[in-house]
Amino acid sequence: MWALLAAPGAFWLVALFAVPFYAIAAVAFGYTDPVFNAPVPEWDPRYWDFTAFSEILTRSVSGDLRPVFLRTLLYVALALGLCVAIGYPVAYYVARHAGRRRALLLGLILAPWWVNYLTRMLAWLNLLQDDGYVNDLLLLTRLVDEPVRWLSGNPVTVVLALVYGYVPFFIVPLFATLDRIDPLLLEAARDLGCSGRRAFWHVTLPLSRPGLLTASAITALPMFGDYYTNTLVSGSPTTTMIANQIEFYLLGGTRKELGASLVLLLSALLMALMVYYLISSRRAEEVVS
Amino acid sequence: MDRRRFLLVSALAATAACGGERPARSTGSSAVPLTRTDSPGSLPLHDDIPPIADGLSPESGGVLKILNYPEYVSPDVLKAFGKTHGVEVELTTFNTMEDAISKLRTPGASFDVWFPTPDVIGKAAVGKLLRPLNKTYLGNLANAWPQLQSPFYDEGSRYSVPYCAYTSGIGYRADRVSAGFGYGLLWDPAYKGKAYLIDDHREGLALAMLKNGLREINTEDPVKIEQAGTWLAELVPLMNIKTGIAAYQLVAEGQATVHHCWSGDMINAQSYLPKGVDADVLGYWYPADDLGVVGTDSLAVPASATKPVLAHLLLNHLLDPVVAQENFSFTGYQPALSAITPEKMVTDEFVTEALKPAIVTPDVYARSQQIFQISPAAEAVWLDTWSQFKAGQ
Repeated sequence: MWALLAAPGAFWLVALFAVPFYAIAAVAFGYTDPVFNAPVPEWDPRYWDFTAFSEILTRSVSGDLRPVFLRTLLYVALALGLCVAIGYPVAYYVARHAGRRRALLLGLILAPWWVNYLTRMLAWLNLLQDDGYVNDLLLLTRLVDEPVRWLSGNPVTVVLALVYGYVPFFIVPLFATLDRIDPLLLEAARDLGCSGRRAFWHVTLPLSRPGLLTASAITALPMFGDYYTNTLVSGSPTTTMIANQIEFYLLGGTRKELGASLVLLLSALLMALMVYYLISSRRAEEVVS
Repeated sequence: MDRRRFLLVSALAATAACGGERPARSTGSSAVPLTRTDSPGSLPLHDDIPPIADGLSPESGGVLKILNYPEYVSPDVLKAFGKTHGVEVELTTFNTMEDAISKLRTPGASFDVWFPTPDVIGKAAVGKLLRPLNKTYLGNLANAWPQLQSPFYDEGSRYSVPYCAYTSGIGYRADRVSAGFGYGLLWDPAYKGKAYLIDDHREGLALAMLKNGLREINTEDPVKIEQAGTWLAELVPLMNIKTGIAAYQLVAEGQATVHHCWSGDMINAQSYLPKGVDADVLGYWYPADDLGVVGTDSLAVPASATKPVLAHLLLNHLLDPVVAQENFSFTGYQPALSAITPEKMVTDEFVTEALKPAIVTPDVYARSQQIFQISPAAEAVWLDTWSQFKAGQ
């Protein structure tokens, strides 16, 4: 009976993840139509052709895609670091000190979602132009001597745009974890002589580790696959991320098998990170219990 | 086409249509005849997809389905046509020709009019996606440029009629650029961070070739293609180059000072200028007497059309100079018709004097080079070279 309750979830997983994922593999390991030069998915694994995947693997390990992978890892790591720096204090404040204003603050954190993502980013494009309001403010306050070229392939803009797009995803699950920490544990720490800072360091932070890991996973995974943020705020080859290369191969040209292979490779990398997340979160839960 | 090639093409078409055998990973050679200006080709006809008969009445009622790029045909023109013939006109859009072909090949899907580029007409004809045209319904084809009444890519206009024409040049802000006109504008550090390339592998690499005096923009020689990639890579540190296809907006708003673009983009840019900015700030450079890149688009009737007679009438309608000019005012891309001249466009206030080079003439078309379909193996080299450039290599 209880197993039946999992049926919708299982159906969801099979229909919306397993089948599309298999379709991507079928394209990556498939063939090419001789007339239209279009990919022909090969559904039977006995006939899979690994040429395209092998090419992508070689290029990713030692060829032109290697710096793109490294750049992607760097941008996501920096963006994630900023999400922690910005998101943790916010989530902590809302969970522990917001009192009656908690609902209001949570609403404000989610407020950006009331506006379409593309619209918000287009608004930022206007603000960040050479003669936009951001540069006007920086010049007015004499923080810079000449306008910052935010939109001219600037890696800082790409990282900040990623943070802007995903930081609410980070705050909300972290808030849920911090909110569940029993205040009595903190009181016990204080009774045993801990200062506020030591109580945070030895009680709150370890107990919030599962939430931190969840928030990081929820934030980092879509960042790896995000191509439109980079396209919107940069469009420069100097900031190309791996998802931009996937977009290039899948949406343009005739070598979609390479795009599909890149998807598989990126998925393998993310799966490794997910395994690390699962192991770490299990350990964190063991520590908590 | 010689007999051997005809048999090869027919056999491959049959394979594509029937399925069954597993096709091999790209063989390198093309299964479709690669037509060139100096070796034009007639596309194959198929007994099971005949042209429509002469003198039929157009279908009425229901929906006339159009497959086109977004914003590439005037809704008013379509609406008026639909009203005249008692049909609703429904527009389905695509972003790339691969996307369009995929939609055409979807089982059960039907479209009445398609707007293909010449480089895919061959494969669409071989793959039985198109219905041959009956030219008794297309009297306005005589209004098209002489070269396009029987173009090299579809000799005898068996499957297509011309639609718009454009060149690939450099759009610029005339208030910021006053010297050094040429492809070298994109290599001028004075415009660093404000320079853009068209985000297309063939266009981008062809630009690098032409800038460096290599005129074979349809080459299949990997050495030459990779050399072009090396030239383009110079732009990454030198110019912090960006890629995109929104020149009409970026140049108009001043985000780009120089933008490799299609001529129609600069004509369109006149509509995107911020309030109070005069259209004279827009300029367009195209080689005045040397080789450049020219392109045309076309109109065709898919084999799946349920209203093929009405589809023919729409093709003919769009070749009417008055209708074409109205359509031009919406798309910004000029029809390839003899009646559209640079002088007339300036007089009719379609473009400023500074944008006169953005109007293509039959002479410009004749001395320019079109981007052709190439073999799958060469296409892979072009794509990978562009991919390396896009990766910042």
